Amino acid sequence: MLERCKECIAMLLAGGQGSRLKVLTSDIAKPAVPFGGKYRIIDFPLSNCVNSGIDTVGILTQYQPLVLNSYVGNGQPWGLNRNYGGARILPPYAQSDRSEWYKGTANAIYQNLPFIEMYNPEYVLILSGDHIYKMDYSKMLEYHKEKNADCTIAAIDVPMEETHRFGIINTNPDNSIYEFEEKPEHAKSTNANMGIYIFNWKILKKYLEMDEQDPHSSNDFGKNILPKLLEDKQRMFAYPFSGYWKDVGTLESLWEANMDLINPSVPIELKDDDFKIYTRNYAKPPSFVSRSAAIENSIVGEGCDVRGTVENSVIFTGCKIEEGAVIKDSVVMPNTLVKAGARIEFTIIGEKAVIGRNAVIGKSPKDYAINAWGITVVGTNKTIGDEEIIAPKQVV
Amino acid sequence: MNMTGIIFSNIYDAYMGDLTKHRTLASLPFGGRYRLIDFVLSNMSNSGINNVGIITKYNYQSLIDHLGSCEEWDMSRKNSKVFILPPFGTGQTSVYQGKLEALYGALQFLRRTKEDYIMMSDCNVICNIDYELVMKEHIKSGAQLTVVANREDPQFEGELRDFVITADDDGIVTDLAIRHTFTRENLCGMGMFIIEKSLLLHAVEEAVSHGLYHFERDFVQKEFLTGHLSVNVYEFKRSVLRNRDIPSYFRNNCLILQEEVRKDIFDPQNPIYTKVRDEVPAFYDRDAEVDDCVIADGCRIEGKVSDSVIFRNVTIEKGATVDHCVVMQGTVIRAGANIRYTILDKDVEITEGRTLVGSDLAPVIIQKGNKI
Repeated sequence: MLERCKECIAMLLAGGQGSRLKVLTSDIAKPAVPFGGKYRIIDFPLSNCVNSGIDTVGILTQYQPLVLNSYVGNGQPWGLNRNYGGARILPPYAQSDRSEWYKGTANAIYQNLPFIEMYNPEYVLILSGDHIYKMDYSKMLEYHKEKNADCTIAAIDVPMEETHRFGIINTNPDNSIYEFEEKPEHAKSTNANMGIYIFNWKILKKYLEMDEQDPHSSNDFGKNILPKLLEDKQRMFAYPFSGYWKDVGTLESLWEANMDLINPSVPIELKDDDFKIYTRNYAKPPSFVSRSAAIENSIVGEGCDVRGTVENSVIFTGCKIEEGAVIKDSVVMPNTLVKAGARIEFTIIGEKAVIGRNAVIGKSPKDYAINAWGITVVGTNKTIGDEEIIAPKQVV
Repeated sequence: MNMTGIIFSNIYDAYMGDLTKHRTLASLPFGGRYRLIDFVLSNMSNSGINNVGIITKYNYQSLIDHLGSCEEWDMSRKNSKVFILPPFGTGQTSVYQGKLEALYGALQFLRRTKEDYIMMSDCNVICNIDYELVMKEHIKSGAQLTVVANREDPQFEGELRDFVITADDDGIVTDLAIRHTFTRENLCGMGMFIIEKSLLLHAVEEAVSHGLYHFERDFVQKEFLTGHLSVNVYEFKRSVLRNRDIPSYFRNNCLILQEEVRKDIFDPQNPIYTKVRDEVPAFYDRDAEVDDCVIADGCRIEGKVSDSVIFRNVTIEKGATVDHCVVMQGTVIRAGANIRYTILDKDVEITEGRTLVGSDLAPVIIQKGNKI
């Protein structure tokens, strides 16, 4: 062997638009959406990689990549600025014989075969940038090796009534997989596919190349690659994961996941010196909390100036909450200004928004019929005028 | 910029008592998440000074740990570097008494730098200053040395300043005094000087061969009063926080709670950088009550806190009262404790129900790692 090689590298699928997040992803890719007072969604898979000893991560971007690209930068905030490996942004590019966008998740990896070959790894970990969870992938890799598997899929137990929202994996007693059910009405089991895969690279490469030759394929891992491996009786196993895991692909789930951080009965603890979630730091001073402020059961990031009332909310870095403003059960993303007297309830406010004086945004669900109510959302860079009223469920 | 930075990390260690027992003055925590050196080093980085030497004497472990590769200050680049200059760094040096001797130990570093000017600074004075403007004024003045200074009112009768400048209406310096009383008519030196490198090298060699070591007294004042040195003064007009002793350090932390001071010091155009610790955002419990405080990341606030500076990763439990305190990183204040006018150093634990009360001029100090 003349060249060095890596045992395992990660490929992070970060090209999705996240259209269900509506105004929050009109200018940025979903993995770049802020989360939890100081993070962005992509911090979770990236920090998981670093905490699992994986130091090479290819990040596949396509949709609105500017913010995401500059956010990841050289990977330094996550310790992914490595001499050999590290974080690499991988956009689609023009090739000598053809030029195309990433057609699907499998095609995105296929187009980056040369990147993976640079490291000639034994295993490839496929991740997505849509979930909030803490996971030590090295344990999953151990499991993959123990089972002598060709492909291992992380699976989480979900309540039976929610199985119709997930890809369900049916397994034998030894956790080997015999069937996939895509969003079934009546699931046979409650093992949901978490979208985290470990493949033996040689096998994956073969199947990606085969998939590319198939004109009828939609070039997708879930729809094409995994069923094909199963059909060919490759060794596929489910890796049971227990712990907090949440898809943040919708406005409701994004709001809920933020609220989970201030709910002591939900088992997600970000404060853990042995498994830190890293994030890019913006050199902001600590937050100032004035005499007129009242903060209850809330998270407040750095560089904030809080003079109003904040209850059951997550306030991100660099926000200014003026005197007399009231924020309840809401998520206020970075660098937003909430002017005096504004009242915000059950709302997500995007980055760099300005909320006018005495504006009233969102309402508690208690006075509404179930269908008439929803989370209110104010988009990135949006200005809401003084005295303006934004009703529940509205997305502006 | 055509200027090398020199930062003295230890010159005023002795003034800070127990707070500098195990650290340099440069690594003394300040303002919720910073250390004193962050301010001067950020100023240098933001002003485009690419080459900085930090002169240390002893206790510099915490400083080296804090600075790391200096990437947070954007000074870990091919063309931008920080050099730590310990005593005994070269053959002919030893532990020094004053800046001239300290600079003697840094001669090799100074000779090797390409820049023609030196910006010398202590790290006990906090401000947000653009050294490029100081440099422009220095060149324009044609003087051999520029001292950065501001106007202040004495806090009490007979208060002294280390370097008191008297200038006439045209800004021409007429007198320089060391450790002297002052009024608003005077300008008070902020421990920051610009001087041409060749002149400084000459002064250092001359001084050391004559057994002199005090830069301000044995060089600036002496040469100025004998007419051998032309001195220009640059008047700095925004907030200046001088940490001269424990009461002033305590007062300055509390001044950070004032909006105008925070605006001056934490200018978003010229941020103050510090070591990144990847703490989670602060959490405020249902029973938290916070009045006029600066609160950093990683804190968990369940009790009552007022007029205080709370550093990263501090826990204040239910029923605890913290008033007019500086609480450093990692400290835990257990339920029901009552702490007023106190400086709690890093990783202190105040046990349940304890009461500690100091005063603004004599705050109680609990040393690093103690359990009370």
